[in-house]
Amino acid sequence: MSMFSQYLKYLLPVIIPLIILLLPSDSFGIVGLTLIEQRVIAIFALAALCWVLEPIPIFATSVVIIVSELLLISDKGLWFFKTPSPDLGHLIDYQTIMATFASPIIMLFLGGFFLAMAATKYRLDVNLARVLLKPFGNKPKYVMLGLMMITAVFSMFMSNTATTVMMLSILSPVIALLATKDLGKVAFSLSVPVAANIGGIGTPIGTPPNAIALKYLVNENSISFGEWMVFGVPFVVVMLFIAWLLLIKLFPTSTEQIDLNIKGKFLKTPKAITVYITFIGTILLWLMGDIHGMNAYVVALIPVAVFVTFKIINKEDLKRISWDVLWLVSGGIALGVALDKSGLAEHAVDAIPFGGLHPLLLILGASILCLVMANFISHTAAANLLLPLIAALATTMQSLLPYGGEVVLILAVTFAASLGMSLPISTPPNALAYASGNIETRQMAKIGVIIGVVGVLVAFAMLFIMNKTNFIG
Amino acid sequence: MEKINIICVDDEREVLESVSRDLDYFSDMFNIEECESAFECLALLEEFDEQQEYVALIISDHIMPEKSGVELLTEVAMDNRFAGTKKLLLTGLATQADTIQAINNAKLDNFLAKVWDPKELLQMVKELITEYIIEKGIDYEEYIEKLDAPTLYRLLKS
Repeated sequence: MSMFSQYLKYLLPVIIPLIILLLPSDSFGIVGLTLIEQRVIAIFALAALCWVLEPIPIFATSVVIIVSELLLISDKGLWFFKTPSPDLGHLIDYQTIMATFASPIIMLFLGGFFLAMAATKYRLDVNLARVLLKPFGNKPKYVMLGLMMITAVFSMFMSNTATTVMMLSILSPVIALLATKDLGKVAFSLSVPVAANIGGIGTPIGTPPNAIALKYLVNENSISFGEWMVFGVPFVVVMLFIAWLLLIKLFPTSTEQIDLNIKGKFLKTPKAITVYITFIGTILLWLMGDIHGMNAYVVALIPVAVFVTFKIINKEDLKRISWDVLWLVSGGIALGVALDKSGLAEHAVDAIPFGGLHPLLLILGASILCLVMANFISHTAAANLLLPLIAALATTMQSLLPYGGEVVLILAVTFAASLGMSLPISTPPNALAYASGNIETRQMAKIGVIIGVVGVLVAFAMLFIMNKTNFIG
Repeated sequence: MEKINIICVDDEREVLESVSRDLDYFSDMFNIEECESAFECLALLEEFDEQQEYVALIISDHIMPEKSGVELLTEVAMDNRFAGTKKLLLTGLATQADTIQAINNAKLDNFLAKVWDPKELLQMVKELITEYIIEKGIDYEEYIEKLDAPTLYRLLKS
């Protein structure tokens, strides 16, 4: 039996999509389901099973999705998948599917990666951390507050993982000095991943789920970089404060004094100064909205050009870009494209009687589902799977309008995706902190579950206020 | 063209001069620095770091007053800022304990015994510099005449 269940994670993602492909099209309960739509259901099932069971790396799943779409449902796919028939449906333009590799969302992230990489290479991150931590003195609880705030700010612009690695490397020699039984060890070790996960919510480039949400916030629902920060940053501040209170209450330290010793000084070479100016300039351009006519996606490519021109990022550095993260997001976008362009999304939503469901119940249910999923699978994969479905559902639900419409539903789910952090496997920052050996899983779970539930509630409250003040909806 | 440095460390003036004479082949494209102590070398490294210059290679003697070559290279090996800098220990008087330490802690790239064959030193340095340039993503074409071709092919292939 154990042998069998071991193979199950490889078998299910193959067998279930195949069964879906081979079933007669009237077995789905959707009247007039086309062959293409049926194949999209199979691809979606494949994606969901692969992202949940992880038989292959999660970014590989994304590539498999894109290639399956090209073979099964594109206008340049395999010949027998294109055989004309009255119930074939719409083949999708292959260029649209391939373009997901270079969608504006991907470019936004690429720009963010370049900024983060240059900042790390020219030690802007460590030097900023050194300067910003000074005012927090050496009382443990204020040092922790400082650490959490800086971690959160950095993870708004750098990846949550990279920020965690940097802060833990600063912190680990200090934690090592604490007494073995000191609960402060737990508090400090947890403070970094918690702050990094929360901080990612602050900007569209903070974490991939945010960028994926932007993909579905279009036309009258579109949100600029600056607008995102107007609600993202206050949310981060509130959650950070709650997390800090929890950490110092649950895991109080017996140490009187903590001295973080970060060495170094700001580099002053022409290249380093170019990095500083470009970093600040890009963020300012992002915050200015569209006064200058450029949107966030266009602005994101400016640092890319600057850094390669001045050899700040060279070809060896280029190889170290997290292409896997970019491809992971591409796969999610491709899944969304398939659901939308095949007509399946609209078709399915029409067929399933969501009309009777109370909109608040839908928002609550979808957020909790996303939160639970994000605790067990990658945040990005959870957003990749849920957001296209949620977006399709939201556009057709008139009853959502009084509560802020599509935007509220999408944002609630997106925030929930970032709040899944109760297990070491929930996020890479959690895994890294757990590796320190200072934390037990139940301690992480205690903080993670509280932050997750409280976070979703705070998000609801914030979205409610945003709707009442007509900021959205 | 980027400025790439090679640092030689030895407390004996004559040895230092002899090493740099042997490395004269590189002097038109690389900057060769001479230090008479580990401390001088560390100060120079700080300076290069501040200017963000590349330090491709440190060739150090082992037995020196105050701070030994192995201690110096261990410090360099632990410093993230000089990750990738190649380290060559040039010594005639290393005990087994020194050698063990040199390999385990200083992460030596090469070990050369005094008295050395100039040709052998030249070849070693060529290989180490080639590795450094490729690993750092520096444009190797500008330096290609000074690099070791077999090492270059091997690294570019992977």
